[in-house]
Amino acid sequence: MISCTEFIPAYSELFKYIEQKGGEDAVLEYWEHISRNGINQLRDLVEEHGIRGCYLYWSHTLNEEAADFTMTLDEEKDEFEIIMHYCPSKGRLLEIDHIEPYHNYCKHCDVLYRRVLESLGYKYFYDMSECDKARCRLKVTR
Amino acid sequence: MAKEVMERKASDNKYLHKDFHNIMNLGIEYIHEKYSEESVREYLVQFASAYYAPLKRSIIDKGLIAVKEHYEKIYAAEEASEAISFFYTEDELMINVDKCPAVTHMQNSNISPSELYHELTKTVNETICENTPFSYELIAYDSETGASTERFYRK
Repeated sequence: MISCTEFIPAYSELFKYIEQKGGEDAVLEYWEHISRNGINQLRDLVEEHGIRGCYLYWSHTLNEEAADFTMTLDEEKDEFEIIMHYCPSKGRLLEIDHIEPYHNYCKHCDVLYRRVLESLGYKYFYDMSECDKARCRLKVTR
Repeated sequence: MAKEVMERKASDNKYLHKDFHNIMNLGIEYIHEKYSEESVREYLVQFASAYYAPLKRSIIDKGLIAVKEHYEKIYAAEEASEAISFFYTEDELMINVDKCPAVTHMQNSNISPSELYHELTKTVNETICENTPFSYELIAYDSETGASTERFYRK
């Protein structure tokens, strides 16, 4: 068994493998597959609760992933934001000194969630400019 | 409607996100369907060769106790230490898993494990043993529960 605590390097290596097989377009196609089939909870929660569904979804995942973050829900403004001070996934990859992270690892967070949220009528902003330090910011609005 | 803010430090929580098992399974199914069965094994060999390189070195230095310690550690992290047992000598390590925590989690999520899910055990452990004094065989595997009997032994 590969433990769920070892999943992140397995995921990063999977992106590398798929890129070797079919280039960056193949990786994008894979992320779109995950977006359609692997994060149904986000879609279900946002369909049921509106923007609060984002807060409910990431409250669960980010706590289980032991992330270092500030998350804000403003239902009056229909806004949701995550400021990721230290991403547990990218952070782990940077801490493992014997493997190189997939060169565009953080982009999967852009594709996976954007596809779900934009299809439900939300705007999705994702700032990856500090991904090399395991920091990012995402914002969802109407 | 008030504004809600949640702030967390990494140290506030234990790192244990079992839904990653579901995404791993989805990845295996995807490679199988998009490419081939052999591609699943090829990917796992590539991953295991890279990620478990320190474990492989440790096996060469310390012997099979390194494998035992590795599995004790990851089953403890999965909060499933009771599901695994060992029979260890310097030349042979038998591992019995009564119930795989990954398969249990997938079943709880109404997800059927990929028909190649056992390769995460078989191919990974075969790869870990490559170029060491030891070999590996998956003696039994129950795809319903992930229960298994495995043997690492001196060549």
